[in-house]
Amino acid sequence: MVQNGIDRRSFVKKMAAAAAMTAAAAMFPGIIFASEQLENLPNGGDLDWKKGPCRFCGVGCGILVGIDKGKAVAVKGDPNSAVNKGLLCVKGYHQTMCIQSKDRLTHALVKKNGTYVQTPINEALDIVANKMKQTIEAHGKDAVAMYTSGQSTIPEGYVASKLMKGAIGTNNLDCNARLCMASAVTGFLTTFGADEPMGCYEDIDYADYFITWGNNMAEMHPVLFSRMLEQKNKRGAKIIDFATRTTRSSMASDKSILFEPQTDLAVANAICYEIINNGWVNKSFVEKHCNFSKGLTNIGYGTEDKFNFNDQPAGINFEEYKKFLEDYTPEIVAKYSKVSVMDIKYLANIYGNPNNRVVSYWCMGMNQHTRGTWMNNLVYNIHLLTGKISQPGNGPFSLTGQPSACGTAREVGTFTHKLPKGVVMNPKNRELAAKIWKVPVENIPSKPTYHATEMFRAVDRGDIKFIWTQVTNPLVSLPKTSRYRPGMEKDSCFVVVSDVFPTPTSDVADVILPASWHIEKSGLYGNSERRTQHWNKMVDGPGETMDDAWMTIEVAKRMGYGELFPYSKENHVDEIYNEYRQFHEGEKHGMAPLEVLKKESGVIWPYVNGKSTQWRFNAKYDPACDNGEDFHFYGKPDGRAVIWQRPFEPAAESPDEEYAFWLNTGRVIEHWHTGSMTRRIPVLHKAMPNAYVELHPEDAIKLGINNRDMVKVTSRRGSCTLPASINERGLPTKGQVFVPFFDEDLLINDVTLDAFCPISKEPDYKKCAVKIEKV
Amino acid sequence: MKRLYFIGIFALLLIATIFTWSKSYYAEQEEAYVILPTESGSTFIPSEKGVFERSKFANDYEAMDAHFKGGRSLDTYYNNRAFHGAPPSIPHPVVNDFKVGDKSCLKCHENGGYVKKYNAYTPVVPHPEKVNCRQCHVVENTNGLFKPVKSGSFPKPAIGNAAFEGGPPIIPHQIQMHENCLACHAGPSAPVEIRVTHPERSNCRQCHVLNNQEMTDIGNFIRKK
Repeated sequence: MVQNGIDRRSFVKKMAAAAAMTAAAAMFPGIIFASEQLENLPNGGDLDWKKGPCRFCGVGCGILVGIDKGKAVAVKGDPNSAVNKGLLCVKGYHQTMCIQSKDRLTHALVKKNGTYVQTPINEALDIVANKMKQTIEAHGKDAVAMYTSGQSTIPEGYVASKLMKGAIGTNNLDCNARLCMASAVTGFLTTFGADEPMGCYEDIDYADYFITWGNNMAEMHPVLFSRMLEQKNKRGAKIIDFATRTTRSSMASDKSILFEPQTDLAVANAICYEIINNGWVNKSFVEKHCNFSKGLTNIGYGTEDKFNFNDQPAGINFEEYKKFLEDYTPEIVAKYSKVSVMDIKYLANIYGNPNNRVVSYWCMGMNQHTRGTWMNNLVYNIHLLTGKISQPGNGPFSLTGQPSACGTAREVGTFTHKLPKGVVMNPKNRELAAKIWKVPVENIPSKPTYHATEMFRAVDRGDIKFIWTQVTNPLVSLPKTSRYRPGMEKDSCFVVVSDVFPTPTSDVADVILPASWHIEKSGLYGNSERRTQHWNKMVDGPGETMDDAWMTIEVAKRMGYGELFPYSKENHVDEIYNEYRQFHEGEKHGMAPLEVLKKESGVIWPYVNGKSTQWRFNAKYDPACDNGEDFHFYGKPDGRAVIWQRPFEPAAESPDEEYAFWLNTGRVIEHWHTGSMTRRIPVLHKAMPNAYVELHPEDAIKLGINNRDMVKVTSRRGSCTLPASINERGLPTKGQVFVPFFDEDLLINDVTLDAFCPISKEPDYKKCAVKIEKV
Repeated sequence: MKRLYFIGIFALLLIATIFTWSKSYYAEQEEAYVILPTESGSTFIPSEKGVFERSKFANDYEAMDAHFKGGRSLDTYYNNRAFHGAPPSIPHPVVNDFKVGDKSCLKCHENGGYVKKYNAYTPVVPHPEKVNCRQCHVVENTNGLFKPVKSGSFPKPAIGNAAFEGGPPIIPHQIQMHENCLACHAGPSAPVEIRVTHPERSNCRQCHVLNNQEMTDIGNFIRKK
């Protein structure tokens, strides 16, 4: 009998496997399919596989989670997902293991006389709502703030925006996506007038050249990098790595070009100079579809409190732009960028050759930049001048760091200036929001308040007296935590932290709310390629854990806004999404209906007449183009994209005699962001247990530093002592050191500088001056 | 009074002399060394060198049958090694003792291939940049022993050690000089038990990470606070 049972099961399993593989192979020719994953399935159980997006990065891989007796016991790549076609990275494969961590937050904790007391969640939510209400009564609406995340689900971001902007009536809502994607947003808006990439990941299958700008994709977007490697092997596509540090990506690239930090601005201009000088401009494209513009220069760095900047765009003509570029000949730029004239010409040649299909990829290297908006503009310039845009295999592609930085932070708009559609400054956008939210339009203030950095400065100054953080860990991820940690510890501000695990941020909280993890709730994410992905709750969370959206709704109800949040506990995710979808109706941003999202492994918007728009602004693919031409940049009123005149300006802080090294920070493949999840996954912790400081071997010899020696990295803000790493994971250029930021015990953000791009307000984590001492 | 003053000064000088002399004496006892940054003194971060070295052959490997049963098995793989990680001895006669690397061994061992004479596939060297092969690899010229030794087995890395059901196996061995995974895990010369089913995905460490247990067991993450 038992024997029979096993035979039947294994037979059924094999049949299912064969069927799945056949189906997958038919759907995606050339699919990467992990047959061995099916072979290695756990014995003695037919697992229930549930689909969803990966919890971690902005690539947005589809995952299948194997559920056995109400527990997640396995994870594999979703073969139906066009993003990853069945493949994941090491973080993705082990993601659900973090919920087994012993220090999981399972109950609300309220600080009483300096110690945390376990409190029923309803009481804790009462305390939060009362405190918020009292603070508003005593100090006004702008004394309370919410700080959310690019990892918040679409419903979580939506109810936070509705509560703050619609119900309470303050723009004190910003999110951690300000720290990673704000420059991408302002780049898109200034150049195209519409946020998010025009292309999609399928570009990888067509491009001849991949140029990665300051982007270590092998570690940060590994699944996409593997797709690129596959094309390199199969079709001979070339990968060109343009960076300030030699990394795993450089090793796999056909060519690695190193540049001096901040000079990417100059090199991009030099490429444009070469394109124009050699007559490689796509004249008809530029004449039909582009304008030229310039903005203010010497725009500052925002290191002082209450810094304010508004750009003043002014139209210029092609001749003026050409004249401006004369300062950026390869010969001049080579001198300070340390990129050879030959390499600059080589890059320009790749872009300039009309027979090449070229995709540019970038992420934090260009965005976390005190001239991040400019840098985004400059790469768009290259693609616009050559007309290599919005076509399969041709286009600039801004990659995202967080799983829903696009879906939630940018599309729902959990920034101080944003609304689900448009911005608070625009009366029409406010009217639409007021109509859908069913609030008086006067409720929504027309002036943005605090962006992320300024929000925590306001906490430090005592201007904000109540802050609620959700799905984020600012006291590890903010720059200059040496200021913002003591700021949040002050009694002047009541701090509420919703999280899954204790973090340095929850350490300073007055109330800690236990949040549901990813698969313990239903939700929607939106990835880098405009793909909206839905998942259903797969397992129950422990204790009194609650999803963030429902916590926000519970607090809203307690504050007397119940009628604005008429959602049911069981079905609120669906109800909220259906309400939110109304904001984006139309050909330019239509979102797929829920029933489609529940069936498919993600759907790209604009979703028009049952069809995804893979390449926007191209009349062949995009039904929103209506100017009768091949291309239509309909984000701008005149349908033309803007080529921006943006000069080179130095970094906010450059190495000098005392602080002689550049400090660059970033991530490693094993850990995701502040490590609060990935460090609790034993496999990943064992592979990468702590942070380190990478040095160039020659600098190490000069300073007498060996591998594993303890090294003190000191800036004008603070210091951090870490073990040295030479010739291991990465190799910074001479005069530069690199430190990953995931380690809460070796907190490099105590050292970084809170200078930001004046246009996007996104801080630069990649450049500040430090001194290096062996201790 | 004046005498006291002089005695005082001499006493101070004496103490200073003893102090300085003893300090220099102990300093002298320290062993001389020259500080050089080591290339791979790492305890847990493997080098990235050569990771993608053989990826240009990935498609050829893919075209081969991963379940091809001929060639080596792990048993025969361990047959000519003293222990796991030891340099294998050379199991075949060597023609010329005067040539190094690219002139002799690498002719066959750089890229592998079928050798009719031995009816076997040539193992691929994971570190072709090191050309003084015979520095570590020796020929077995006799079957006998100088003196009898206790025979014993050595621990071998486990196979099928995924951390999670269906997950990618963890790398169960250190990879110093073996950063180039495909050399040993792909192609017909790879031991059949450890032959990868998906050699075309050359970014191995996207999914497979070290468990670092061979060096030190790092344990799980526990917050300090």
